[in-house]
Amino acid sequence: MMHKESGRPAKKQVTVTINGKKCPAEEGEILLGVAIREKIAIPHLCFEPSLDPYGACRLCMVEVVKRGRKEMTTSCTLRAAEGLEIVTDTPEIVKYRNILFELYLAEAPKSEILKAMAARYGVTKTRFLKKLEAADTLDNKCILCGLCVRACNEIMGAGAIGFVNRGPYTLVGTPYGEPTKDCFGCGACVKVCPTNAVEMEDTGDTRIMKSWNGTKVPLSKCDCCGEFFAPKGLATAALARVIPSLKEEIAVLCPACRGKRIAQEEIRALSGGAGHHG
Amino acid sequence: MKIVSAADLAAAQETGMQKIRPDRPRIAVGLATCGIAVGGNRVYERLQEIIEKEKAEIILTKTGCIGYCKEEPLVNITIPDKPLVILHKVTEADAEEIVREVSNGKVPEKLALCRVPSWDHITGCNIEYGKGFTKIPLYAKVPFFAGQKKVVLRDAGLINPEDIDEYIAVGGYAAARKALTGMDSEAIIKEVETSGLRGRGGAGFPTGQKWRITRDAPGERKIIICNADEGDPGAYMNRNEMESDPHMLIEGMIIGAFAMGADTGLIYIRAEYPLAIQRLKLALAQAREYGLLGRDIFGTGFSFDIGIATGAGAFVCGESTALVASIEGRTGRPHPRPPRLTDIGGGLWGYPTDLNNVETWCNVPVIIMNGSGWYAKIGSKGNTGTKVFSLVGKVDRVGLVEVPLGTMLKTIVSDIGNGGANGKHVKAVQTGGPSGGCIPLRMFDTPVDFENLNKAGSIMGSGGIVVMDEETDMVDIARYFITFATGESCGKCVPCREGLKHALLILNRIMAGKGTKKDIETLALLSDTIAATSLCGLGQTAPNPVLTTLAYFREEYDTRVKP
Repeated sequence: MMHKESGRPAKKQVTVTINGKKCPAEEGEILLGVAIREKIAIPHLCFEPSLDPYGACRLCMVEVVKRGRKEMTTSCTLRAAEGLEIVTDTPEIVKYRNILFELYLAEAPKSEILKAMAARYGVTKTRFLKKLEAADTLDNKCILCGLCVRACNEIMGAGAIGFVNRGPYTLVGTPYGEPTKDCFGCGACVKVCPTNAVEMEDTGDTRIMKSWNGTKVPLSKCDCCGEFFAPKGLATAALARVIPSLKEEIAVLCPACRGKRIAQEEIRALSGGAGHHG
Repeated sequence: MKIVSAADLAAAQETGMQKIRPDRPRIAVGLATCGIAVGGNRVYERLQEIIEKEKAEIILTKTGCIGYCKEEPLVNITIPDKPLVILHKVTEADAEEIVREVSNGKVPEKLALCRVPSWDHITGCNIEYGKGFTKIPLYAKVPFFAGQKKVVLRDAGLINPEDIDEYIAVGGYAAARKALTGMDSEAIIKEVETSGLRGRGGAGFPTGQKWRITRDAPGERKIIICNADEGDPGAYMNRNEMESDPHMLIEGMIIGAFAMGADTGLIYIRAEYPLAIQRLKLALAQAREYGLLGRDIFGTGFSFDIGIATGAGAFVCGESTALVASIEGRTGRPHPRPPRLTDIGGGLWGYPTDLNNVETWCNVPVIIMNGSGWYAKIGSKGNTGTKVFSLVGKVDRVGLVEVPLGTMLKTIVSDIGNGGANGKHVKAVQTGGPSGGCIPLRMFDTPVDFENLNKAGSIMGSGGIVVMDEETDMVDIARYFITFATGESCGKCVPCREGLKHALLILNRIMAGKGTKKDIETLALLSDTIAATSLCGLGQTAPNPVLTTLAYFREEYDTRVKP
């Protein structure tokens, strides 16, 4: 069977069972993704559909029956297959997951998102020593899920940030803890961070990556409205891939002004050149 | 010279045998890292100085280590038609006497540990050294050696590891020739499968099956890797295997490469093993010179070569996916399997890859040479062959011990190791390194094999056996191993990174006398969680020392905490 639009062979449709509910899925699809689509709650912190499965946060553990044996595994690394059956909240999973939540609450005690998430699963305090460091550039909110590092490396290809040290001393940062020139200022790290630990701020013509040791990125100014919009470096990198005819206006106009201009040109064309100027 | 025909191999064998049993006396100093550490090099240099000065008709050379660490430095004396004599605890001060005695066709008997009238190198070479020196005990009567069965270590401490001729002399590379010229891939894999050989790195996966999966994986190109990232505290089997007999490993890899259709082999070895690296490099160069590596090996058209990749001191890089990441120049962090190394896209540079431990590879030549039937008779059902253990800690006879799998723990610790050092009572042993568990004395009738050690709450691991005596504080032992695991955790997943850290904080508190009963409960629950939820084997097994000491030595925890 071929897929109508793309011409690629369509993925085989299978049925998986989550907590007794039959759910349709594509063969090989990540189980956590299926659960999210089906609105079945499985807590998770390091999952991002645009990146390869990573399996680091360990919260999305589910019970699966494999070769007749019950096994605990992360649903973000589990692939859909016909007849696959998982259960999300066995007493065993709840027991371990609660300890993991407590470990997270101790690791990132200032993250409100994390506190709210843990509370949804009944964990409101931790028996473990809280890590509170005044000098933490991520304000004691980072849980080292690695999403920012991977977005920066694997999606943006910038590699501006990485893991530093290892084991319990691991942290995310720029090389030598200094501002870095490799940062595009794209903000993907801010966007993917599950605990809102990564912060940036635009002031005038500069974007300040607050979490990355004050890395500063210059912004482009819109020729039309005068607002600062895209980071200059990012624009240059992106424009290298854009067809020449589009290049000029993308480079100088912010998305809002560009939208406006397209609309105006459309009107002008339709009305024989008598468009509004402004 | 290239070795192609059986006659070429026989010629090299002849050359080598003249080096092992020359027409004049030969003194070989045990110069593996262990021997060097206790002054072996100084003994060697002093002997060299005296032999030169006296113009004595003596050949001075080096050998690897026969495994009796307690008695180092060891020196082998071979006098034509006399038994090989092993001297022990030799110092520079003994050198003059040794040279004088040997020049007169004698040996300094007070330094003698034992004599070896003949030695079976198993793969078709039984060396008859000669008769005499009857006052010196026989090798087989030395309690440390008596209970052992040397298969992998059959050449260690007897041949010069830096000379390929000596390896060929004792039957080396004959198995490779047999496999490449007389067997096909299927026959070799079948032989390894029926031998029952299981991975010696710790997990015990059937080696033949892994080879079959790799061979049958889609993709034109296959790669094989030797895991020599031995990092368990107290474990040094692999180091000695490489330092004392590097060609056995290379030969095993040649056979495996041919069976799996691999053109490239890599030895991933930790940088902390400089002598092993040096000897492997030398051995690889010698094998290339003889045409045993490179193009058209034995004229069969099969081409294969081996490179060396060094690690940078991370324990976790012994885990297969982290190991591949490390070789590829990425951070050594594990990723979830699948994809496994044997899958296309999952191995080194994306090629299906077979990864085996040093000792696994070392078992291959003898299986091919003597047949799987011969091999399967050693050990117990489902656990065939021998295993090399490093018997260390508070045991009387420290050393490397090779015994059939399924040998009772007490045979190793009490009979071979002679129990606790300085007459103390043994209380427990830790097997399998930091991922293993502590097995108490009352369970010493446990047969040492993959399944029975698991049942006891420990693991085989790579083969470290650390002995603890009556004075050992078991809580402190647990703390030691958790400290190690915490420092070696890569930091990717939360149970291992944060869980171990908090387990260590709790253990510190208990050790400082500030712990409570509740702390013990938390420690147990936390350890259980780390084992159940960690991403890779490091985290999954790291709490074992805590879990087993809690199970078997709970009273030591209880007496330390406040109610």
